[in-house]
Amino acid sequence: MKRFFFIIFLLPLLVGCWDKVEIEQRLFVTAIGIDLNHEKGEEKDKLTVTYQYPNISAIGKNAESGTSTFLLTANSSSVFQAGRQFMSRVPFPFHYKHLKVIILGEDILKEESLMRVVLDELNRDTKINKRVRILATDRTAKEILEAILGKEQRTEGTIYATVRDNTKTSSFTSKSLADLITDFDISGVTLVPKVSLDEEKNFVISGGAILKDYKFLDWLDANENKIINLINGNMVVDTIDVIYEGNLISYAITETTTNRNIKFNETITANIDITIEGYLQGYILDDKNTVSDNETVLSMEKTLEEEIMKVTRRTLGHLKDVKADLLGIGEHLSKFHPREWEKIEDQWDEVFADAKININVDVKMSRTGLTR
Amino acid sequence: MHKKNTISNNQIKNLLITSVIGVGILSLPSNMASILDNDGWLAILVGGLLIVPLIFMVDRLFKMFPNKDIFQIGEEVLGRILFTILLIVIIIYTILTLAYAIRVFGEVIKGYLLDRTPIKVIIITMLLAACYLARAEIEVLGRMATMVYPILIGLIIFLVLLSIAEGDFTNILPVFNADFTLLPKGILISLFSYAGYEIILLAYTTSDNKKDALKYTLRGLFIVIGIYVITFFSTLSQLGVNQLKRRIWPTIAIANEVDLPGYFIENLDGIVLTLWVLIVYTTLGPILYTGGRALAYIFNTRSHDIFILPLIPLIYIVSIIPDNIISVYENMGIILGYMVIISAMAIPILIYLVALIKKRRRKA
Repeated sequence: MKRFFFIIFLLPLLVGCWDKVEIEQRLFVTAIGIDLNHEKGEEKDKLTVTYQYPNISAIGKNAESGTSTFLLTANSSSVFQAGRQFMSRVPFPFHYKHLKVIILGEDILKEESLMRVVLDELNRDTKINKRVRILATDRTAKEILEAILGKEQRTEGTIYATVRDNTKTSSFTSKSLADLITDFDISGVTLVPKVSLDEEKNFVISGGAILKDYKFLDWLDANENKIINLINGNMVVDTIDVIYEGNLISYAITETTTNRNIKFNETITANIDITIEGYLQGYILDDKNTVSDNETVLSMEKTLEEEIMKVTRRTLGHLKDVKADLLGIGEHLSKFHPREWEKIEDQWDEVFADAKININVDVKMSRTGLTR
Repeated sequence: MHKKNTISNNQIKNLLITSVIGVGILSLPSNMASILDNDGWLAILVGGLLIVPLIFMVDRLFKMFPNKDIFQIGEEVLGRILFTILLIVIIIYTILTLAYAIRVFGEVIKGYLLDRTPIKVIIITMLLAACYLARAEIEVLGRMATMVYPILIGLIIFLVLLSIAEGDFTNILPVFNADFTLLPKGILISLFSYAGYEIILLAYTTSDNKKDALKYTLRGLFIVIGIYVITFFSTLSQLGVNQLKRRIWPTIAIANEVDLPGYFIENLDGIVLTLWVLIVYTTLGPILYTGGRALAYIFNTRSHDIFILPLIPLIYIVSIIPDNIISVYENMGIILGYMVIISAMAIPILIYLVALIKKRRRKA
């Protein structure tokens, strides 16, 4: 009898998988595009939301033919509301846990209250990973996602594979949702990579959008973005091209170190010393040795420093014009000089525009490659 | 079957650590940061150090009455009627704490893992499981704690590793810049995170080596303080103070948002929460056991296990009273904050003081 009850009680253990969901019966949303809705419709539906999800059965060893990704678009009041609207068009429920990329169209970037609503919704949700990458586009997010359609090779998305880290290029600054919100909390300004389309409708990620208080402020080009990465110590590997005595030098950066020293007087003086180490990637093949003595190396370093300073001055001017402290000076002050920071916190925009920022660039060409 | 009624000092230490650390560890960094910004760790530290004299006091109390347990001491010191009234207060506190813990537990599990399971099912199954542990004797609790302890330490080491890899330690700055008039309020709230230490009142007398029990208990308390402070720093370094204040459960957030190079680890909330279930389990069990023992004293029965199951519906009903998670933290949290101070701190102090006075008088 005892054994009989024991077996009866074991029965519930057999039903562990009674409501399992097979992996093909889930739609893993990998990218979401958000635009402003220009069509007339219901008043609440201010957004045009585009979902991208991979065709799981077209991936893997026994892949069936068919498109590799699907796109769905709807006018909706919120990102997740759109998902519910799509339910009448797709066979399975959506899963947001593997969402990798969110693309914001230019129109929506200009609407502060809508931006706050969208970002809060994403930040509040328990399923969305807060490391999802945010991108801005000067077109509509829908166009960008449509451009990739059919060209996708990877499940998690080509755009994500490009932006997931900064180790390959520094012409943009990868930004996750968590970083974006932290930036707004600390300095109110952030930089989001810009994705655009070239003439052949291929996507290009370079440069960035400055957002200030949840609102679009200005675009930055790739060179300005490189300088900002350089100053913030985010630059990993990159090449700089400069004309030296009529010929092009390619200089590859391998390591950078940044030192900041910020002083308080009547105005703020920030001294930023940047040391760049790298090697000569390409110069010119000549009958004689082209880089034979130390003096040539030194003068090349000088030319490079001048070139970098030129772009730096332009970038700084641009940042001061739009009053956007992307250099982390405000953050540095709030951490290391909290008492002084309290006094100037409210008028930081003006203080930053008047601040003296001295940047010193020291370029070291440690190696010249295999030839002299 | 041989039954031994003593537990080792190491088990007492583990029992203390696992009973204290429970649902509070998920929200403590955020609560502290809301009051004291970057200096929230200070309140955690001071709150923990305030428990140290209480542990010394418990030690002295048991030395005053060797070979007696807390119920015999309480009866001898305060008289049966007064002591029974105080025990009723402790039972109410037990029910409230359990209701609070199980509700938070249910909300977290529902939010992160089982979004389609009704919260009632989560709460009731967890309570029944805890009930099984609480019906056992103290040495079983001690053994369970010893099993869970390495898991807890592993989890903390994991969180530290994540924050070393990902965090920005300048987020800890500026230090000592908060408004220190708020420190008492912070300490009051952090004291609540040390609720559950009173399990030593029951465990202390069962120690097989009473000489060293104090040493182990203090070591346990310092480990708890250490774990809380480390958790605060790793969440702060990873999230920054503003985001930390905004989050309800920052400790899960840092496990969830890991983004290490190499694609294979992400969304670790599932793993972390699975381990956390065990940690909550060893919090619920001992508290429920305390309630059962108190009831057994009041009704003068030899074993406490018959009272555990009847407590479950009561705890369940209290746990579903708050309408939402904010109300759980605001209303229930405040009531419990005072209850902790009364039942876990004031009552032991009262017993000790009365015992001290009586003893002096007898000598004189």
